[in-house]
Amino acid sequence: MTLTNAINEFFQLITKFQVPFFLVSISSAAIIILFFAMPVSGFATYLERKISADFHERIGPNRVGPWGLLQLIVDGIKMFLKEDTVTKNADRVVYNLAPSLVTLGSLGAFAVIPFSAYIIGANLNIGIFWAMALGSVVSLGVLLGAWSSDNKWSLLGGMRGAAQIISYEIPLGLSVLSVVVVSGTLNMHELVATQAWPTLGGKGHFWNIFHNPFLFINFFVYFIAALAECNRTPFDLPEAESELVSGFNTEFSGMRFGLYALAEFADVILFACISSSIFLGGWQLPFVDLSLLHFGMSLGGKSLDPVFQTALMMGVFLAKASVIVFVVMWLRWTLPRLRVDQLMNMCWKYLIPISFVCVVGAAIWVWFFEAILGWPSSSMVHIVGRMLGVYSS
Amino acid sequence: MSGLDLFVLAMFALGIAGAFFTAFHPNILYASISLIATLGAVAGLYAGLGADFLAATQLIIYVGGILIVILFAVMMSENIYKKRFAAEAKKYILPSIVSIGLLALLFKLLFSADWGELSEISQSQDGVTLQMGQALSRPYALPFQYVAIVLLFGLIGAVVIARPHIGKKRK
Repeated sequence: MTLTNAINEFFQLITKFQVPFFLVSISSAAIIILFFAMPVSGFATYLERKISADFHERIGPNRVGPWGLLQLIVDGIKMFLKEDTVTKNADRVVYNLAPSLVTLGSLGAFAVIPFSAYIIGANLNIGIFWAMALGSVVSLGVLLGAWSSDNKWSLLGGMRGAAQIISYEIPLGLSVLSVVVVSGTLNMHELVATQAWPTLGGKGHFWNIFHNPFLFINFFVYFIAALAECNRTPFDLPEAESELVSGFNTEFSGMRFGLYALAEFADVILFACISSSIFLGGWQLPFVDLSLLHFGMSLGGKSLDPVFQTALMMGVFLAKASVIVFVVMWLRWTLPRLRVDQLMNMCWKYLIPISFVCVVGAAIWVWFFEAILGWPSSSMVHIVGRMLGVYSS
Repeated sequence: MSGLDLFVLAMFALGIAGAFFTAFHPNILYASISLIATLGAVAGLYAGLGADFLAATQLIIYVGGILIVILFAVMMSENIYKKRFAAEAKKYILPSIVSIGLLALLFKLLFSADWGELSEISQSQDGVTLQMGQALSRPYALPFQYVAIVLLFGLIGAVVIARPHIGKKRK
């Protein structure tokens, strides 16, 4: 589906005096945000506190509900009820606009995440590119919010944030590009589908991270760059507490701050989802192709396979994503923060050259094995299989 | 008139409104912020007219990159709220001549281009990304590389300008 088709579908019924499709879409998006993104991000804040407590050998939230599990609801209520303060010389228009831009950027990209072979918000043909495009809107929100709150700490944080996000978009884009070179598609569903376990005669090439050595390196480049994109430690310079109070969101309170915090956690979850789907195979497992499994159960003549497959796939996908979210939090409480110059050095002197080499390397790898040798697939699994004599053709 | 046509028209309206604010708003900050609307509307136009790859590129490069650079420059300049700044900016004659010339050039392109081919492409289900990639790597490879080299020169020039001590002995 192209973006144009999506828009066409979205506005199809507006001229026919029926309930327009876009109203349905918007309300379902609101429902998804209310019942998926917000609770998951809220739960991530709880998890963050629990994990940090573990690292500090404390107990962490333990008063509200069993194991403090209801803490996120209490936090949410606190956010809603807090006084909404605005600094005296704040630029009101921009101040109101900024948090929504950030939220738009980080929640809109969830549309292209393939939770399973059957569950995807919009199966756009430019899926991964769409997610990156919306990600660049986030930096705009950070910068505008920082400037409009009329506070030097905020401005410094916002400037750092914008510079950091723009710089790290380059290695991020290059490492995504190398995946695209290998898979030959920008569509998120197809990106995951090509990572199936290479059954005999099948077209899969197993997880992209194990496709070739260059992609293995690129996964870590992507991970580091995405950490910087989400402003997470060790790259949380835009909100460095010890230097800038709270950075770009210092002057925001109440639900406006809530939107910033939500967007940050949503960004982390989004990044975990994207990296697990483009590098770690999404809902694919080794040795078995879940989309080919049959359970032999049916209801009213219809096979129940898709239901079971979806449940399994979502489980696999969310398990991978949660591992990455855990690693991100683990890093936060382990590594110290970089300085600004170190941050820029890291990006321009290390990550960008490495990712350039990897893009070219991955392209040469694919070209050598598929064009020169004429093999159907150039993945490591395939090559090893060929050496062991599994694939003879 | 289909929903898609309405969407495209709305994007036209948004783009023109944004451009109007950009040109005539007395506060230079709001003028540059209303570029969000204009550039976003151009992305919407691309999306509505079947060039979805271009739409996402527009968002990444213009909204996420160039607009931020413009905002950097504007936010760092002094007294952007004062009247003086607005009064100084009211130099209409030269910009009008330049933009009318540009408009004439665009109209010339508009009427000389062959639009017949495009209607088929925008109807396709797979989008134009694949064709675009193949066009850029085969018939248009040389212009593409040429543009890349020009951009590289731009980057190197920026580095040279940003480092005034280049060539001198470092302290």
